[in-house]
Amino acid sequence: MKLDRRQFIKQAAISSAFATAGALFPGVSFGEWNSLANNSGVISWQKTPCRFCGTGCGVLVGVTDGRAVAVKGDPSCSVNKGLCCMKGYHSVQALYGEDRLTTAKVRKNGKMVEVPIKEALDLVASKLQETREKQGKDAIAMYGSGQWTIPDGYVASKLFKGCLSTNNVEANARLCMSSAVTGFISSFGIDEPMGCYEDIDHANVFITWGNNMAEMHPVLFSRMLANRKQRTNVKIIDFATRHTRTSLAADRSILFHPQTDLAVANAICYEIINNGWVNWNFVNEHVSFKKGKTNIGYGTEDHFSFTEKEESINFDAFKEFLEDYTPEKVEKVSGVPAKDIKYLAALYGDPEIKVTSFWCMGMNQHTRGTWINNLVYNIHLLVGKISTPGNSPFSLTGQPSACGTVREVGTLTHRLPHGVVMNDKHRQMAAEIWDVPVTNIDPKPTDHTVAMFRSLDRGDIKFMWIQVTNPMVTMPNLKRYRDGALKDDRFLVVSDVYPTPTTDVADVILPAAMWIEQEGMYGNSERRTQHFEQIVDPPGEAMSDTWQIIEVARRLGFEKQFSWSKDNYIEKIWEEYRRFHAGPKHEMAPYKVLQKRSGVQWPFVNGKETRWRFNPKYDPACTNGKDFDFYGKKDHRACIWARPYEPAAESPDKEYNFWLNTGRVIEHWHTGSMTRRVPVLHNAVPSAYVELHPEDAAELGVLDGEKVKIISRRGEIIMPAQVKGRGVPARGMVFVPFFDESYLINEVTLDAYCPISKQPDYKKCAVKLEKV
Amino acid sequence: MKPHNPQSRRAWCAAALGVAGFCVLAGPGFSADAETVPSFDNQAQKIFSALQDTPNANLQAGSWGRNLNEYYKLRQYPGSPPRIPHNVDPAFNGDETNCLSCHEQGGYSPEHQKFAPVTPHPENTLCYQCHTKETTQETTQVTPQVTAKESFVANDWKSIEPPKLGRSALGGSPPPVPHTLQMRENCVACHTGPGAVVEIRVSHAERGDCRQCHATVIQTAPLKTFSRE
Repeated sequence: MKLDRRQFIKQAAISSAFATAGALFPGVSFGEWNSLANNSGVISWQKTPCRFCGTGCGVLVGVTDGRAVAVKGDPSCSVNKGLCCMKGYHSVQALYGEDRLTTAKVRKNGKMVEVPIKEALDLVASKLQETREKQGKDAIAMYGSGQWTIPDGYVASKLFKGCLSTNNVEANARLCMSSAVTGFISSFGIDEPMGCYEDIDHANVFITWGNNMAEMHPVLFSRMLANRKQRTNVKIIDFATRHTRTSLAADRSILFHPQTDLAVANAICYEIINNGWVNWNFVNEHVSFKKGKTNIGYGTEDHFSFTEKEESINFDAFKEFLEDYTPEKVEKVSGVPAKDIKYLAALYGDPEIKVTSFWCMGMNQHTRGTWINNLVYNIHLLVGKISTPGNSPFSLTGQPSACGTVREVGTLTHRLPHGVVMNDKHRQMAAEIWDVPVTNIDPKPTDHTVAMFRSLDRGDIKFMWIQVTNPMVTMPNLKRYRDGALKDDRFLVVSDVYPTPTTDVADVILPAAMWIEQEGMYGNSERRTQHFEQIVDPPGEAMSDTWQIIEVARRLGFEKQFSWSKDNYIEKIWEEYRRFHAGPKHEMAPYKVLQKRSGVQWPFVNGKETRWRFNPKYDPACTNGKDFDFYGKKDHRACIWARPYEPAAESPDKEYNFWLNTGRVIEHWHTGSMTRRVPVLHNAVPSAYVELHPEDAAELGVLDGEKVKIISRRGEIIMPAQVKGRGVPARGMVFVPFFDESYLINEVTLDAYCPISKQPDYKKCAVKLEKV
Repeated sequence: MKPHNPQSRRAWCAAALGVAGFCVLAGPGFSADAETVPSFDNQAQKIFSALQDTPNANLQAGSWGRNLNEYYKLRQYPGSPPRIPHNVDPAFNGDETNCLSCHEQGGYSPEHQKFAPVTPHPENTLCYQCHTKETTQETTQVTPQVTAKESFVANDWKSIEPPKLGRSALGGSPPPVPHTLQMRENCVACHTGPGAVVEIRVSHAERGDCRQCHATVIQTAPLKTFSRE
């Protein structure tokens, strides 16, 4: 018997006698949400990528009377096939928070005053000009985001690098993806994954390296679970420093001490070689061996610099290097039993098993982030498990357009949309497409993100424009950088959609159009470019970040370079940008194609998407006539790197005796400025907490919900403990999510970074705990 | 009616067991205070293993028709352990070999002509600790709520209303989990299969990770809004 709602209500009425016992009857109410008055009830559904993570789910936004009222997964999108996560399903609510920024504000006599946006843009342009003339071209900076649309990042790069001649263009993806980039560049000579999400439907074993996919890439994770259920030969192994929802779902959870993933990865290679599991056909044809500098430092001091020195080695030298990494030796460092290391190696080594490795922030936010990326590629390369369906070392991105806007457009100090500023040809190409003299583009990179905020603190940078990101919550060693931003002659422009701790330190706040209030494109983790139309109007005077930059550029005299009209500027920008990537290695789909489809993967060659790169069956850029072609490198070989284990920048000692690990929860997006304005998400996890191992909590005498003080050498914070939460850190570690601006955990973290990628390590520093 | 064989006899024992899973919030005192955090969230493994171990046919099976009305009849307040609605042999001691034979996996009971509800917490094997049995009534009918008339001394106790269904935040969005996860971490047990309450059975359990979409918002009062300090 099935009851529909009406029958049920009817039945409910009949049995109302029962309700006498304390009104226990379950009411059914579908009228809990505020509804639009006099609404036509007609919904039109329009496609867009999700606003949040780097998975890049296709969603359909339901619009009625000019308002976004509903969301569903786009069944025609191969990424998510109609499914979303809780953030995606409620994403449109984030457009309508009551404190949405709708007017520009300017600081006058210490107070923020509302002004017409034109006046604010005039001020931004004149202040930028003045700073540039008085303090030099590198006293101005742009700090953007992996949540920038592709046009946002493109015009920022064009204005600052092409027109204003400063390489002070960085984006928050430096904090999340740059180790992935340097890993790709050093191992393959070309950025972004060779595989695609379809690998999930082919792999037999998934190994998640420090990657809580169940919460951070839930849609991909549930696709793994569905595969495990449907196919009998699928296993999930979670390799992590903390017990998470992912560990709970995994067939096997293996914990390691922070930073020792380096040693374990080498031990896996040792085992593969020692057991004769090397795929020699692959290695002989497609692999080269190299080593680089060691003892490379941690970047905690100002003006730190590092230059890599590559050296070719042979297989025997690599094998000898691995002698220090027998499973037994590594067990002592890593806490991973030798038998578990051998188990992992056997999975990678078995030629009958297809293995996909997934990772994200655990490997990237790492003072040896580039190295650990290299090391996982080493494993896949030794056994030749790469660039074929199901065999995939897969670096996931955190943000919706970390790949699209930051990595592909190149909104980092050393990058250009094609190539790097150091390269003459790349500068010439950029100058030509941008219609600027080539001498405009400075061949010397300036500051990466951490260095940029240090420059701001020291006063080398006086003017900074921040868009679509919230560094006053996310910078490690936060207090220094907030104090720096607040110094008297610093001028901060912040474009955002809600007030945040970053708008709190701004001199000018520009109200921004958010997500589907503008047209744009994102690029997800699997090289997929996703276009969205403007679906609803931005509120008040809110304006797209792209258009804000165009307005300022025109005020600075660059009308020629920024001549687009409001009607079709996104299309024109896309077609201009696309010229940078012409050719089979990176061809991007034309605007008209992007408009129609729910995302298109590049290289898009002769009307076809490339699902697996470096494999001639799928990738038309392969030209060497062999079964694989790693064409990113001049010798067409992928590189195996001898990279040692080196300790973290700061490890627990007698005084500061705990590791501090930071990260995210499924409910909240980054600093919570959007998701905390979504009632369901905010109520599900209303505040941050410090996750403790139950035995550590018992030793401290702390119960669930009681306050704990976390103290590092940089700062301290008091927050509620969580002892029986969704995650359990290993003993001697605490975990804190960073979404809550009331608990700025980054005042405690350390601004050490990977010397190669310059990406800070948010996962490791030393703290002590006190019961409050 | 006496049970005829051990198998069906077990079915009698505690049909109500599983039903507890559905209750809606823990008793008074459990609110999502800004300073407390959702607890019992660490039992996610139960969902994952239940999903992995439950045959697709069961995940997809339609509900037999048990409804929320019957469900709440067995409870004193949202979250209370339900009474056992069927006759139980006085000799039963309520250990797992009895109750769990039917209520761990669920399945059809020919004697009740019903599907047994599945318990979300089979690890608690002393069923009678929480679930009261009725030994006096020889009936398979769902017994009515104990009324004041039948009480030793009447009392004036009242509880709150259980959470309403359909609290999606916007049209088509996944409704949040309105109940505490304590002893009810395993979504699959109560929300899938033929024993599930018809109004809350889900048709898409095979998607893998329930809490990917359904946030836990224990809530009988209005939602809080975020405000900057």
